[in-house]
Amino acid sequence: MTDEIKPLILIIEDDQQTRRLLKTNLCNRGWRVIEAENGKNGLSLVKSDSPDLVILDLGLPDIDGISVTKRLRQLSDLPILVLSARSQEQNKIMALDAGADDYLTKPFSTGELHARLQALLRRVMRTINNMETFQTGELTVELARRKVFIAGNEVHITPIEYRLLSILVRHAGLVVTHRQLLKEVWGVEHIHDQHYLRVYMGQLRHKLEINPARPRYLQTEVGVGYRLVDDEEC
Amino acid sequence: MRKNEPESEQDIQLYEMMLNRRRWDRLQGYMAGITVPFICTLIDWPLRHVLGPASILMTYLLGVFLVASRYGRGASIIASLLSAPVFAFYFASPIFSFAISDLENIIGLGVMIVVANVTSNFLERVQLQAEISKQRENRANALYRLSQALSDAHNQQSVAGIAVSHIYDDFGALSVLLFPDQEFQLHYPSDIPLEHSLRGVDLQIAQQTYQQHTAKQTSKSTGPIAYYPLERSQTIQGVLAIESPAGADLASPELITFFDTFLNLISQTLERLNLTEKANNANLQAETESLRNALLSAISHDLRTPLTRIIGAGTALVENNADFSAEEKLDFNRVILDEAQRMSELTSKMLDMARLTAGEIILHQEWNALEEIVGSALNRLEKNIGTRPIRTLLPDHLPLLWIDAVLVEQVLTNLIENAIKYTPAGSPIDISAELSASNLTVNVSDYGFGIPQGMEEKVFDKFYRLESESHQGGVGLGLTLCRAIIEAHGGTIQAANQYGKGASFIINLPIHEPPTLNCFEEMAS
Repeated sequence: MTDEIKPLILIIEDDQQTRRLLKTNLCNRGWRVIEAENGKNGLSLVKSDSPDLVILDLGLPDIDGISVTKRLRQLSDLPILVLSARSQEQNKIMALDAGADDYLTKPFSTGELHARLQALLRRVMRTINNMETFQTGELTVELARRKVFIAGNEVHITPIEYRLLSILVRHAGLVVTHRQLLKEVWGVEHIHDQHYLRVYMGQLRHKLEINPARPRYLQTEVGVGYRLVDDEEC
Repeated sequence: MRKNEPESEQDIQLYEMMLNRRRWDRLQGYMAGITVPFICTLIDWPLRHVLGPASILMTYLLGVFLVASRYGRGASIIASLLSAPVFAFYFASPIFSFAISDLENIIGLGVMIVVANVTSNFLERVQLQAEISKQRENRANALYRLSQALSDAHNQQSVAGIAVSHIYDDFGALSVLLFPDQEFQLHYPSDIPLEHSLRGVDLQIAQQTYQQHTAKQTSKSTGPIAYYPLERSQTIQGVLAIESPAGADLASPELITFFDTFLNLISQTLERLNLTEKANNANLQAETESLRNALLSAISHDLRTPLTRIIGAGTALVENNADFSAEEKLDFNRVILDEAQRMSELTSKMLDMARLTAGEIILHQEWNALEEIVGSALNRLEKNIGTRPIRTLLPDHLPLLWIDAVLVEQVLTNLIENAIKYTPAGSPIDISAELSASNLTVNVSDYGFGIPQGMEEKVFDKFYRLESESHQGGVGLGLTLCRAIIEAHGGTIQAANQYGKGASFIINLPIHEPPTLNCFEEMAS
């Protein structure tokens, strides 16, 4: 993300005031912004302008947010940040399961917005650069050697724990839904076996966190999923 | 009333067996009535020279008495009437003739017949009385059992179930209770028919019974059905339809009274339930009404205060922008941000309340770890917590809980938020958990001033706010919601003051058998 190649962000949002605010904010940060006031225009802008990231409001007048997410995913792998109102909790999770990368609940602060966008753009960079080592705070994950360290000391974790952790590392800073984790680690037939996830995430927390009841790295988003905190975020 | 249409083959067999036995009993009586005099004769014959005719007569009397006591009047009359000629023939001179010359013997025979008759009459009355008192006892017992069962009934369906099964037990008749709907139309119960439920009822006649408040009867090919209004003091609760009408088959008025008492008990229970329901509805309505009013006034007050400040700061910035220094402008902006954030918090709280108080709480229960929920609640409140020490004392290896994580997180968030709001800055907050055989106890304690004595229950009341906190934002529904959520989970929540500490909120959640993990490590590799 150097200044020469400013990331292009597409905002799909029907409320003009929110759009204006977002645009001012993002332009101040040096990002380029294009806007769409409905899902249809948004989708055609993705095809014509190929933006680096999409901010998608879930309450669009023409197409519902989940369908937009699905169609966006068919078109490209670009990061999607959904904006949801409090009354759309269920839609938010559905959008995440449909392929959105993270969410923000309205109203949100500019700080939160920037943190999410940074994490999303970093995720893209990581996939491009094929990351070998992930580091956040005192936690280091050596992806090539499948080894985990806390403050330089190796922590022994089981294969399932490692798989969970590696998925979270791949999405560092972003939320990963229960469904996503269950599907990737245990397979589609286990997507409802939430207790598997609880047990193994608990084990991971006890191995990696000083106080598992107030985790520094492995944060729970109740009702949604888990998030591995990425220290560069702030 | 008897069971007049035996249904199954087994019933028919049983019924025939009963009839056969009664016939057999009567036959046996007659046989005894015939044979006993001859047995007496056989016994007395060898002794005829030793015993006088008076003693011999006594043996016949004994025989007749025994027959009377065992087989009743009919048999004893046969026995006494037969004893007379047999005695005359064998023992009263002249022997081997039915003539009796001796006056003494004639008198003796006469006395015997009278005594036999009187005793058998007497015995029969005693037996009848015993039977009646036994029947009365049975009925008293039946009524007692019915009233006992009905006192536990909590709705129409359970009353119907109890009534139908007791009617079957005590009258041997199938029956059904029909209740009116909103438009006063009677309907068959919509749930699964009961075991002894009567089918094939004429709803039209039932409807007439319901409207005219009078009992009706039909005699259909399937057997007569009687319809009784279930009413008390002019209000009618429904109709009882029962096969084989009381009255047609009833011999005694006593049975009719018994049945009436039965009906009365059922009607009474239905009336009681009806009145309770009405009272509850009225209460609920009044409560919702006052809730709505209180909520409206609280909301308008709590939203207006920050709005006034926002509008004030906003207009100042827009209208007199040039007059302010950069620092002053920043100050105004801070006011706007702070107040907007307060409003945002308030509106989201109100949304939660609206959702939860709108109806019963719908739980999306899943297996969840308490540790995660505590962690998430603390993370959510990070800004409010600041540098305040939070001590989490959760034992390792807590079982998973079958709970709605979003709602339980809301409870913890509310409790921690309250602790932060109402205790001095920097004082610690403890969150601990303890496991017992069937419960998990979660404790959120602070080191503030505690809850005023005697207010430990009051704080859960709707719109209750401590005097000292009236300057704080909030509508006084937080703890009410906490309690509603925890109780929906089958748990309890209480407030207490802890010695040397401040207030303490104790949540008890039931433990369920957690599912097994049938996927082991080897699956992943």
